[in-house]
Amino acid sequence: MIDSELTLLDELENLKKDFNTTVDKLSKDLKRSYKTIERSDKQQTREFLKLKALNKEIADTQKEIIFTMGAIGESRSKETGNHVKRVAEYSKILALKYGLSQYEAEQLKQASPMHDIGKVAIPDVILNKPARYTPDEFEKMKEHAKLGHEMLKYSERPLLKLASIVAYEHHEKWDGTGYPQGTSGEDINIYGRITALADVFDALGSARVYKPAWEDEKIFQLLKDERGKHFDPKLIDIFFDNINDFLEVRNTFSDKDVVSLKPTFNS
Amino acid sequence: MTVLNIEKTQLTPSILLDKKQGLVEIKGDSLPENTSEFYQPLIAELQDYFNSPQDKTVINLEITYFNSSSSKLFFDFFDLIETASLKYDIDINWIYDEENESMEEAGEDFAEDFEKLTFNMVTK
Repeated sequence: MIDSELTLLDELENLKKDFNTTVDKLSKDLKRSYKTIERSDKQQTREFLKLKALNKEIADTQKEIIFTMGAIGESRSKETGNHVKRVAEYSKILALKYGLSQYEAEQLKQASPMHDIGKVAIPDVILNKPARYTPDEFEKMKEHAKLGHEMLKYSERPLLKLASIVAYEHHEKWDGTGYPQGTSGEDINIYGRITALADVFDALGSARVYKPAWEDEKIFQLLKDERGKHFDPKLIDIFFDNINDFLEVRNTFSDKDVVSLKPTFNS
Repeated sequence: MTVLNIEKTQLTPSILLDKKQGLVEIKGDSLPENTSEFYQPLIAELQDYFNSPQDKTVINLEITYFNSSSSKLFFDFFDLIETASLKYDIDINWIYDEENESMEEAGEDFAEDFEKLTFNMVTK
């Protein structure tokens, strides 16, 4: 062989070596990339599941806090047993039939048990008085709406914000004669209008230290009379169109066999 | 430079390279905005260190979380260590929390990939 041919062979041999090194490196890099992706996918799945669990934990915690606060409010007031549970269920039915979304209706159901939370700041003597209030006492009692609102309004949590609206507006009346703001019609938040009806319907049907439970006929008559006065007429119509749903809730969460959390009042 | 010391931040680990002691430590979460830029000083100083290393070099890796581009960087890091390990005595401690499955698996993966390196799996 002549020299030039030898040189060419050497060059080819070197090229072959370079080529093999490069291919080895590329295939190693590719394998590593696959490994990295696989690892990262696994990690993502773990994190995803963890996040989901955490979100559930947050939602559950909110629900629990709200329910517990409702129970605290209830334990301080004359309402007994399952009152807040029934109000929650009535509110959800009214919200759905009114046309609110499933999500909003569920949120309202969660928040409505807190409507009377402001009562924790009302003195026991007034709260548990087994007789009619004097005008002064009634004024004091009325503050619970504003107090409840004050307690909750600084929260950034959607559910607590909703609860603050309900606490504030559940004693407003459609014709503007309610409290604390005296707003009327659709200026009252729909959540307030709904809880107002749910609360009154349940209160009338329950025995209290100062009154026995009303007969259904008498309750229905009052609701009809107050259509467009105390209550949003549309909600009253919804109520009577779906009366069986409400009575079923009342049966399911009746106060029979319920041990009240309320401290007994002895004067 | 005999000591390279970078403090940890929310997204980057602490880094220590002590050339006199023959000690390398990376601790914490690794999700740098620019991964190669972040690790560049370590890689550069390591290359310098291995020109005249101590008799024994100990590398403590206590990484609690790392993203994909850090993963790529760690491969390069171990390439460098592996080359040096042919000539010098190097120990790698992969330190992880028992409950951190991801990091346990990552350590095992690296150990599998770099057969010539000694990985000690150390639980906290």
